[in-house]
Amino acid sequence: MADSTQAAAAPKPSSSVKLVLLGEAAVGKSSLVLRFVNNDFQPNKEPTIGAAFLTQKTHLPTRTIKFEIWDTAGQERFASLAPMYYRNAQAALVVYDVTRASSLGKARHWVAELQRQASPGIVVCLVGNKVDLAEGDDGPDAEEEEGADGEEDGQGEAAAAAAVKPAAVKPAADEGAVRKVSTKEAKAYAEEEGLLFFETSAKSGLNVSEVFTAIANAIPEASLKGGRAGANAAAGAGTQAAIMAGADSSKVNLNAKAGGDKGQEGCAC
Amino acid sequence: MFLSNLVQKAQQLIDPAALPGPLANLTTASSDRPSKAQLFRHQFRLPDTQNPLYEITAELTLPSKPSNRSSGSKARTYQPHPGAGTAKNWDSSNWDRTAEERGTHYVGQLHISEQFLCFSTVNTTFVSTASTSASSAFTGRTHGTGPAGDGFTLPLCAVRRVERLHTQSHMFALAITTWTGQDAGVKGSEAQGLGSGNAPPKLTITLEGSRLQCERFCDGLKKGLRQGMREVENMRVVVAECYSEFFSQGDFEAETSLAVDTRTGADGKEIKPPDTGLGTLFTYPGNTRKLRDRSKMRLWHEYMRDNGRNTTLVRQPDFHRLIRVGLPNLLRGEIWELTSGSLWLRLQKPKQYEETLKKHEGQQSLAIEEIEKDLNRSLPEYAGFQSSEGIGRLRRVLTAYSWTDTEVGYCQAMNIVVAALLIYLNEKQAFYILSTLCDRLLPGYYSQTMYGTLLDQRVFESLVEKTMPIIWDHLQKNDVQLSVVSLPWFLSLYINSFPLTFAFRVLDVFFLEGPKVLFQIGLAILRINGEELLDATDDGTFISVLKSYFARLGESAHPKSENAKHRQITNFQALMVVAFKEFEGITQQTVSEQRVKSKPGVLEGIEMFAKRTSIRNLGPESKKLSANDLGFLYDRFYAVLYERQQRAQMVQAETERRAKVAKTKATEVVSGISTLAPEMGRVALGAASTTIMSYDAFREFLAGVAKWAVTDSPSSPTKPSHEENGGYFNSLRNRNVLTATNAMREWGTGPEPADHEFLQRLFGKWDSEDVGGLSLQNVVSGLAPIKGGRDLMGVIEWFFELYDDDSDGKVDREGILRISEALLFLTRRGVEVGEVEGGAGVGAVGGEGQQSRDERFLGAVSAFIRRCFEYADPDHPSRQAEKEVVEATDLLGLSSSSSDAQKDAGESATDDAMLSRPSTNTFGQTTPASPSPSTPSRNNTAANAALDPSSPVHITLPTFRMLVLADETLEAFFDSGFANSFHLADAPLASSTITSPSFLGAVGQASASASSAMGTANSSLGGGGTVSPASLGLPAISPGGAAAGVVGPGKGLRGVLDNIVTDGMRVAAEVRRRMDEAQKELDRGVSGRTAEADDDDEEGEDMGDLLEGAEADAGGSIRSGRSREASLLDEEVGGKGVVGVERVGSNLSKDTMFER
Repeated sequence: MADSTQAAAAPKPSSSVKLVLLGEAAVGKSSLVLRFVNNDFQPNKEPTIGAAFLTQKTHLPTRTIKFEIWDTAGQERFASLAPMYYRNAQAALVVYDVTRASSLGKARHWVAELQRQASPGIVVCLVGNKVDLAEGDDGPDAEEEEGADGEEDGQGEAAAAAAVKPAAVKPAADEGAVRKVSTKEAKAYAEEEGLLFFETSAKSGLNVSEVFTAIANAIPEASLKGGRAGANAAAGAGTQAAIMAGADSSKVNLNAKAGGDKGQEGCAC
Repeated sequence: MFLSNLVQKAQQLIDPAALPGPLANLTTASSDRPSKAQLFRHQFRLPDTQNPLYEITAELTLPSKPSNRSSGSKARTYQPHPGAGTAKNWDSSNWDRTAEERGTHYVGQLHISEQFLCFSTVNTTFVSTASTSASSAFTGRTHGTGPAGDGFTLPLCAVRRVERLHTQSHMFALAITTWTGQDAGVKGSEAQGLGSGNAPPKLTITLEGSRLQCERFCDGLKKGLRQGMREVENMRVVVAECYSEFFSQGDFEAETSLAVDTRTGADGKEIKPPDTGLGTLFTYPGNTRKLRDRSKMRLWHEYMRDNGRNTTLVRQPDFHRLIRVGLPNLLRGEIWELTSGSLWLRLQKPKQYEETLKKHEGQQSLAIEEIEKDLNRSLPEYAGFQSSEGIGRLRRVLTAYSWTDTEVGYCQAMNIVVAALLIYLNEKQAFYILSTLCDRLLPGYYSQTMYGTLLDQRVFESLVEKTMPIIWDHLQKNDVQLSVVSLPWFLSLYINSFPLTFAFRVLDVFFLEGPKVLFQIGLAILRINGEELLDATDDGTFISVLKSYFARLGESAHPKSENAKHRQITNFQALMVVAFKEFEGITQQTVSEQRVKSKPGVLEGIEMFAKRTSIRNLGPESKKLSANDLGFLYDRFYAVLYERQQRAQMVQAETERRAKVAKTKATEVVSGISTLAPEMGRVALGAASTTIMSYDAFREFLAGVAKWAVTDSPSSPTKPSHEENGGYFNSLRNRNVLTATNAMREWGTGPEPADHEFLQRLFGKWDSEDVGGLSLQNVVSGLAPIKGGRDLMGVIEWFFELYDDDSDGKVDREGILRISEALLFLTRRGVEVGEVEGGAGVGAVGGEGQQSRDERFLGAVSAFIRRCFEYADPDHPSRQAEKEVVEATDLLGLSSSSSDAQKDAGESATDDAMLSRPSTNTFGQTTPASPSPSTPSRNNTAANAALDPSSPVHITLPTFRMLVLADETLEAFFDSGFANSFHLADAPLASSTITSPSFLGAVGQASASASSAMGTANSSLGGGGTVSPASLGLPAISPGGAAAGVVGPGKGLRGVLDNIVTDGMRVAAEVRRRMDEAQKELDRGVSGRTAEADDDDEEGEDMGDLLEGAEADAGGSIRSGRSREASLLDEEVGGKGVVGVERVGSNLSKDTMFER
């Protein structure tokens, strides 16, 4: 699968990763993919029927990851088709819309389903999309968060998140706020479940490639195999890797989380 | 036959998922074959109200026209008459065999339904005597004839005149004049120059049959025609929206261009063309010149001139051919309406669309929310859907449909399909065609579970496997899932896969020939790309091969060909050829058969998924229950709902049969329950089934889960047999086919459930949203606090709240009685404390087992009730004396009559015993043999301050908790017994820690704990010897009333109960002392009560005596063991030396904290 350009330079190992996008209807799954694959944005993207398939490569320092992206339909009744798409997936992007509280609930369902039904060890990333709509609006518990967000990063985060957790659960009281899901709440949840976490904007492109890079980094080396054969091998290897990953999944996720936080810093404007 | 029609009608009225036609296989499992009426409707695309009434073999004669190039296989074409005018001038007077020779003849079947006259060359019969295979010959051959064959589908209201023709050969012939024929004829003569070619001929039909048959048929026709008169006006309104009405008024050749917007009508008024969709405003997709739109229009103009239009159109082979080459823009919508049959739907309910919108104006729903999300992203590349006009139309059509069929509501992909339809159709037309799509052409595609989509994917896969085994093997080998690519094809009718113009060409044929077209196209796509697909080894490549093929559909299929004509053939044309020639064998029948085969697997898969998802989404409460238990609850919950639905249907069917309702209207007969759709409750078929459990269903549900919920006095003859202890749980789970008799019984095969106040309370409590029904969620969250691990305090609190009606933290006198009643109700079949029946109980009581446990429980409850009153807090300490004794009598009379009303002798006896027991020591009086409730009760009232309503009292949660914890038996009940009484999938909880041997070991020697003290008491109870099972001669579990087995006759009992009482009193006294010390609040209560006792002489004395006795008992030394225990108890209270009591003590102090 190595490109000619790569072949000329030091040939990096290339491997395929099957990634599936899940989440409520109209949260911007397809738009995220479109941004990642074509660096494009369409304001009125047709709803995905069944699923769409796209591919895109991500270059890491040590290797190249070819994402095989399955973008699924979001409507509730399509949920029964989802297993067809997340079968053998090594990574999943569970997307919600930061301006719609219900979408995080749906995301939780997906996370639960993936944890039980998908290949064990699947790397799950929680993504809050449409932050462009919530610019300058830090959500329901903005006051508490304001100070914290600026200075905190990395290590201190977990403790802080735990401390503010009760506040984060508080429903959106302020109707004026466009943002309905606070960063705190989602992040606390992601940490609890050991998920990667990002807030993105498919419209502005914010954090989109970071999401995929973080996922690429989080995929355990063992489950990757080079080239075309990888696609087939991954299916079998997925389980194995997963079992291995099961032990050190927390480590993997912690590392990845650091990346996630970095990304977030950028958006706290 | 009429009855069966009724039944079918009813079924369809009620259950929108019950589909007519071969598709009905999906829902009616009663037989794999659809009914003849369904086949009939499907063949002629008639609404569900139509049934085949009469049919006869006939020959249809149509005059040949020069333009008629018909050469259909079934038509004998005669040399057209040289004079074009001849045919037009046909008349009944000069009709003869020679005239007949000039024309096209079709032999086929002529049918009459309630509102339609149909003729088809497809040789099928729908009479009741015909075999089903004869009627299901609906094969939908692809060349020449669509599913309906050549012929016509004529609404009777469109018939203007029927004449009996005089023939020389004594043949029975009819000449039918349709309203368009007449109309155009008149116009033609008025408006000069237009008339010559404009009047379609009369339809001449020769009936072939005996004179009697012909006469009968004609009678039927006459009747129908008379009825049809009423709908003529209606039809005119409906038809006015068809473009052909406007179109046929002009002479096509005289028009200089198609862009003329208005024409001058016969009366000089300008006639506007009807709305033919957004295309007229935003242009139609594709290049009209390239599509040769104008020449297509000309051909259609000719065809309609000769064969009638919209309602009166006669299908000849050209009709099918003209559709195959693609419909012209302006007529596309109308022909879709006609071929799909949605025109007939519109004809029947012309106002449905507007009325639906109006009725639900301003209302919100989930569907509407979902629709709004997608409005801006439905065919966004088409200009019309970037405008508010287009989006408004889309919104209204989707919304109206979501209200019409709330089970379907809105499904993504519908927006794309409807958007495409709206380019060619006005809102109303699109609405009806959407109904036809969802109900008939794409059954179950857009339903909640999308089972139709999944099923057809399975069918498609099996067809690929059959027709292209090499490709199929390749897919399997490389683990490529076909439906990943093909699902969107079917779901959006290729609209978002193909370039729009080609997608519409597919739709043209799809509406005419039915769903099998989707399969044929799909197979052809794979066949054409076969070689490239064999190179693809993963989903990605597979998809991209097809994607690029779709992008090339408009390109030449043979770009390098020498032959210019070959070069002109596009990929799409080649695709159509492969689809309809090579896969000609794929018929509706093939699809139907395959659907029947695949259905069980698909439904099972969906149900598995639904179960998994449902269980996962039951919320945090559900985590308290094990996965097994949740699975069990899910199965049990839906099994009950399903069975009840089944029974209701069967009962309904039976009632109908008995009532001989043949003459009543179907709508009145069936009051909401379908009769012959045994699968309608299946989860996989979508929301057709209810997901809410009524109170009765809840009782039935509990009866299969808990023994106490089974009634003691079943009304049905067959009692649930107790030998197969718990056997009925299994039998319900592995439910076999219900036998007719069982189904007719009110409760089916299961045991008859009891009806007790406790059940009502439980139901009310679980019904947290107060909707009068329980969802699975409610049941699980209801059970979670009870079953979810051992939480003694939680269960006690839960129980208390169950009886705290106004949630003020107090349970009044009535409540206390009800609690006691419920405790006895729950334990009348014995307490299941758990597998480990351990500790002092076993040690001391030995082998007494169940029986003595029951007694112990009775004792515990009676002690409980007495103590309740003892420790109850007065409501209004100052006012008690003002109340009168009369009220007391009333109250008791009321409560005893209410217990009488329970029709359950055993239970009422229990109640009586319960009421009298605490207040008097003469227990012997209250036996089942002398159920005279009122007398002793009244006396007792006077003797017991606690039962006197003049001193209203209540207990609080801490008091209740204290009282429960003070009694080992009750504690064990709340600790595990109650939870264990619900039999789910997992093993019951182990018994209470208090009675567990390990605990005893920790306590050490000499039965130093409160529990062992109780054990001793029990042993003395047993030692009384009077209540051994043998002497009672009653079965351990007596359906007649469990209490009866315990409160046996005989003097010895008194001793037993005395023991219980004294024992209880002693403990109570102890507890009270502790309370005095520790709890000021209770202390106050006690002093209040003492004051109250002082006020009332007689009762006060009585009470005082009792208390004195208790204290004396506690302090005194009646038995050696006793005194020791008592002192030990003292010690425990003070010194906290013993673990068990420590626990109790700490609980008590905790209570106080909660209280403040």
